[in-house]
Amino acid sequence: MLRFSIQRSTRYFSTSIPRQQQHLTDVAIIGAGPAGLSLAAALKANPTTKSLSVGLIEGSSLDPVKNFSQSPPENFTNRVSSITAQSVDYLEHIGAWKFIDQARIEPFDNIVAYDGLSNSRIEFDNMEMGTMCENINLQSCLLQRIEELNDPTLKIWDSTKVTNIANDTDDAANGWPVIQLSNGDSVKTRLLVGADGFNSPVRKFAAIESRGWAYDRFGVVASLKLKYEDYRSIAWQRFLPTGPVALLPLPEKNATMVWSTTPELSKLLVGLPEDVFIALANCAFVLPQVDLNYYYTLAQNEEYDELLSDIKWRFENYTSKPTIDIEDFPIALESVIPQSRARFPLKLSHADSYVSNRVALVGDAAHTTHPLAGQGLNMGQGDVKSLVESLELAMKRGLDIGNLLALEPYWAQRWPENHVLLGVVDKLHKLYSIDWSPVVAVRSWGLDVVNSLPMLKDFMMKQVSGK
Amino acid sequence: MSLLKNYPTHIPIKGIDRLIMGAACFFGATLHPENNNYITGIGEITAFEPVLTRIRDSMLSNKVGRQILRERPRITSKTLDLDYLKSLPPDTFGNTYYKWLQREKVSPDTRVPVHYIDDEELAYVFQRYRECHDFHHAISGLPIVLEGEIAVKAFEFANFGLPFAGAGAVISPFKLTQKQRTRLFDVYYPWCFSNGLNCKGLINIYWEQQMEKKIDELRRELGIESPPPDMRTLRKMDGAKKIT
Repeated sequence: MLRFSIQRSTRYFSTSIPRQQQHLTDVAIIGAGPAGLSLAAALKANPTTKSLSVGLIEGSSLDPVKNFSQSPPENFTNRVSSITAQSVDYLEHIGAWKFIDQARIEPFDNIVAYDGLSNSRIEFDNMEMGTMCENINLQSCLLQRIEELNDPTLKIWDSTKVTNIANDTDDAANGWPVIQLSNGDSVKTRLLVGADGFNSPVRKFAAIESRGWAYDRFGVVASLKLKYEDYRSIAWQRFLPTGPVALLPLPEKNATMVWSTTPELSKLLVGLPEDVFIALANCAFVLPQVDLNYYYTLAQNEEYDELLSDIKWRFENYTSKPTIDIEDFPIALESVIPQSRARFPLKLSHADSYVSNRVALVGDAAHTTHPLAGQGLNMGQGDVKSLVESLELAMKRGLDIGNLLALEPYWAQRWPENHVLLGVVDKLHKLYSIDWSPVVAVRSWGLDVVNSLPMLKDFMMKQVSGK
Repeated sequence: MSLLKNYPTHIPIKGIDRLIMGAACFFGATLHPENNNYITGIGEITAFEPVLTRIRDSMLSNKVGRQILRERPRITSKTLDLDYLKSLPPDTFGNTYYKWLQREKVSPDTRVPVHYIDDEELAYVFQRYRECHDFHHAISGLPIVLEGEIAVKAFEFANFGLPFAGAGAVISPFKLTQKQRTRLFDVYYPWCFSNGLNCKGLINIYWEQQMEKKIDELRRELGIESPPPDMRTLRKMDGAKKIT
C-alpha cells in the first residue's frame, strides 16, 4: 500500500508541473482485467522476463480491487467466472493463487447439462473440474502478487484513460507505439499489449481485423441465494431454445447465474420485481418450454400476481409427475441480491491475428465467445501463458521483444486452439437453438449415447479442463 | 413405467397388450357399434401421446386452458345444475344445451371415465375432451344419430386433431345410405371442417362459465358461423317425401 501512496504523490507532483512526462517501458499493457493483471504478474514472476519494465494502464479505478482483500463486499458480485484446473495451475505457477480469497471460491466436480425440450442429459463427474471465482477476487489476488513482487520497474496507472495511440514519429525506423494518457503523460513502449476487451483500441491501432457475429442474444447475470446449501457442488446448464441458462455454485447458499436469452427477454428479466424474477428463474431450470413461453407473456404484460400463483400451481403439479425426479434439478432459488442483475450482448469474434509489429492482443481483445462453455476468461489465461513463454524465448535468443519474430510463435500457438474452441461453442449454441422436433430427437439421442460412454466423456473433459 | 395406477380409474396396459386391445376394440366396434366400451376403447388407444401432448400444450399456452388444467372441472349432472339451465332465457347457451339434452334424451352423466392413458394430466385432457363432446353437439345443433355423430367427429377432428375423430369422419360415412352420405358431404362436412379449423381451440373453452351467454354471441366469440340446417328436420322432410 505504501508504494501506491508514493506513486500517487509523484503523479500529483507531475500534473502540477505543466511539462508533460514521457515514460519509457518495455511492455505497456492496456487493461487491468484478469488478462492484463495476469500478464503483468506473470512477466514479473518469470526469472527471465522480470527484467522488462512494465506499465499497466487502466481506465477505471483499481480501488475496489485493492480494497477487496481487506474488506470484501458482503454479497457476491455478479461478474463470476469458471476457472479451469489448467488456469488454476498457471495462477499457482506465477505465485498468485495463494492470495485468492478461499472463502469466496467454490470448486465444482460435477457438470450437468440438459436439453430444455427433451430433458435428455449429460453428466460429467470428475475431480477438479473447475472453480467458480468472482472476477474481482481473481484481480485482487493478481494485484496482491504484484505488490508482493514489489518490482520498481512495474508501474500501474489506474483511473487513467488512453486518449491516443500513435507510432513514434521522432524515431520512425523503430516505430515504437506512443500512448497518450488522460493525465497528460505519455508512454513510449517497445511492445504494446492490448488486454483492453472486445472494443480494443489497441486492435484498432494495429489495424487488425476482428471477424465474427452477434448472437442476437444477451447474457443476464445475477447473484443468487439458494433455499439451502447444495452439497452436490454441481454446475448446472439447461439448454432452452432461447439460449442456455446456467446455475453455478458459490460457497454456502450462494450461486450465480448466466441466462442467455433474446434481447427483449433479457431486458424484461433484468427489470422484473425480485420475487417474480426468482420464480421465473426457478421455472427456467425445471418447467417445459410451453410454460416458460406463457410466463414470458404474463411478465411482459406485468400480470405478476397471476404469474406467481400460476407458477406455484404448475411447479407443484409438474414436479409431482412420476417421471420427474426433483433430485435431477438444482436446489430452488430463494432470492436475488439487490442490484446484482445485469445483461450484456453475446457475440463471437476472433481477430485475424493476435500480433503485429510491436503489438500483441490477449483475452477478449483477441476473441470473444458465448459463455455457455465458461471458457472466455480461461482462453485469456492461456494467451498470457503462451505470450510470456514466447517473450521468454525471444529474450533468451536476444531478440527485440516487439519484433514479429518474437511474437509470432505466440499467435501460431494460440490462434488455432482458440479457433477450434470458438467453433465448438458456436455450433453447440446453434444446435441447441433449434426447436424442430426431429433435430431435438437426434441431438437428444446423441447426448444419451455420449452420456453412456465414459471414455468419450473423459476425453471431452480433458479437452475442456486442459488436464 | 411401472404398472402402478397413476390415477384412480387408470388401467395400465403396455406394448403388445395395447395392440391386442386396439384390434379387439376395432372388431368389436364394427360388429357391435351399439356397445359404447369398444368405441371409447379405440378413442383412448388411438389418443397417442404426442397428439394429447400437443392438445395439452395448447391448453398450457392459453389462460383459460391453464385455468381448466388447474381447476380440473368435471361435467356431470351434479356439477351442472340442470334446473338452473332450464330457467335461463331461451337464447342463452345454457338453455340451448338443456333443450338439446332433452331432445336427444341424454344426460351429462353418460361419459365414461378414462382408463388407458398413462399420464395423469393427459388422461384429464382426454376426459375433458370427452365430457365437452355434448357441448360441441349443442353449439353446432347436431343430433346424436349416427349421421350427426359423424358430423360432430369431423368438426372435432378439424379442431382437436385427434386421430380417432378423424378416422370416424373418414370411415363411418360408409355405413350411411347414399342419400345420407350426399347430405353429409354437401351440407355438413363443409360447415364442420371450415368452422372446426377456423374457430378458436375448443379445448380452451370453459363451457360451464358460458351458460348465461347468448348463444349467438358465444358463437361469434369462438368464430363459429350460424349452425348448419337442422339435421332432424332435414331427415323428417326426407322421410315425409318418401311417404308421399
